[in-house]
Amino acid sequence: MTIKKEDILERLNPADSFTLAMDEEIRRDGLAGSYGCFALELDKTPDIAVLQGRIAEFSLRFPVAQASLQQIGRRFYWCRRNDPPRLFFQHHCPGNQNEADFQQHTIDRIINHKQLRETTAPIEFHLLTGPAKHIFFTRWLHPFCDARGADLILKYLCIADEAQRRQFGLPESGPLVLEQLAKYRWWQKIALLLKGKRYIAKLDSLESIQPFPGKPAPQRLNYSIQRLSEADTGQVVKLARKQAGLTGTSLYYIGCLMRALDKMAVDSQGDAYCAPYAFNLRKQRALTPMTGNHLCALFAQAPRDIVQNRQKLFDHLKQQNAQVIRQQLDYAFLPLMWAGSWLSLAEYGKTLRQAFGSGKERSSFWFSDVGRVDIPENSFPGAEITGVFHVCQVTSPPALAFLSCIHRNRLTLSYNFVEPVSNPAQIEKLQQLMLAELLEETE
Amino acid sequence: MKKKLRDFIFHELVFVAEPDQFSDDDDLLEAGLDSMGIMRLIMFIENEYGVTLPDTEIEPDNVQSFNALAHWILRHQNG
Repeated sequence: MTIKKEDILERLNPADSFTLAMDEEIRRDGLAGSYGCFALELDKTPDIAVLQGRIAEFSLRFPVAQASLQQIGRRFYWCRRNDPPRLFFQHHCPGNQNEADFQQHTIDRIINHKQLRETTAPIEFHLLTGPAKHIFFTRWLHPFCDARGADLILKYLCIADEAQRRQFGLPESGPLVLEQLAKYRWWQKIALLLKGKRYIAKLDSLESIQPFPGKPAPQRLNYSIQRLSEADTGQVVKLARKQAGLTGTSLYYIGCLMRALDKMAVDSQGDAYCAPYAFNLRKQRALTPMTGNHLCALFAQAPRDIVQNRQKLFDHLKQQNAQVIRQQLDYAFLPLMWAGSWLSLAEYGKTLRQAFGSGKERSSFWFSDVGRVDIPENSFPGAEITGVFHVCQVTSPPALAFLSCIHRNRLTLSYNFVEPVSNPAQIEKLQQLMLAELLEETE
Repeated sequence: MKKKLRDFIFHELVFVAEPDQFSDDDDLLEAGLDSMGIMRLIMFIENEYGVTLPDTEIEPDNVQSFNALAHWILRHQNG
């Protein structure tokens, strides 16, 4: 494809490039690519005409939603296409098929659909309907937006008032990664970059435990959802507050998962569990930016002997998190991301995944806590949202991505795992162990 | 003090459509101040006012509003 200058819509920012490198890594592992997904479970078939109208309006206002990702020289750009892709799809459960199976198979097809990066649509909306179950499933390619952006897009689709919808994406701002970087002078950026490198080198001095150490070739992503009752969720929130403090709900989930994995995979090799997680640079409740990635990475790491002592583990994670913020190590990854965006995707991916020295995988699992989903009740066109869950692709290893959110006072945990490296029986066992950890029923 | 806190929170951490309408008693947690934001806010306060806020005191009562934050800081400045 020959690209004309006027067809270029946007250049990828450093955080977009970071997610693109992971997309490349996922594809190299034989999987579909770095797709993120939000599933809204609905009580009935929504108002399809309204939904279609708002999706069309959204793609007009944000043309990058129908763009094609193209490489020009070393950099990547969103470019206008001659034939914009379709963004809205409907899937209806045939009368003779079990509805739950139909939903699982349809989502499985959507998340595992292998397409060239250049031809895949940046975002797609799928409506799955049946006699009793309905899901509005949004699937995006990660350089297009991050999870907060996807949440904003869903809120946009839920707003009935056109004037209110126009507030989304305003005021238009540039990439927040670059805005944050611009706050530092060049020598401060270098100091931050060196600080970030030293921090990662320190993390890499401990070999990361791989909970699924087998070597079968990755074939497909599967997922399993665990939804807690309101009472259990209340108990988890209380325990998270007690163990990890007001600032550490996510750390509580991470710590519990480390312990559950340690009990599940007692024979796994390595020194410590290490989990990367992203934090968002947008202000809370901000309606902009809608598209693009505006995040930076952090790590939670805990040696195995600490993981085996519940109290010590949460004290350790809390202290580690506080130190990272006190020492500004969170922002230290910004210049690293900027520098990484000049590398080839292969080199960047290797740097992001492999520990310095040993070359082994740095992550024991991927983690993301979406927090409380606050899409207003009664706002979805023609239907009520009864549940929410998330899905995302992950490299293999670690072959496990854990996502959490709270909707209507119920904690929903999504276990995304790569088959046959892991399998549903292992994940079921992990879910039981995780529930016991979350509810402190282990000691 | 509250003006500096307002500037930091509304400029860096939480989007509020009309900051002038947000009173010193309004709920910051309800407005979207999250765990990461609280940590950043504490770092800001410690650098700006030369106090050390103990981890054990990071609880809703101390961070819920601008008035609560100001009382918390003053307690440590005077202590």
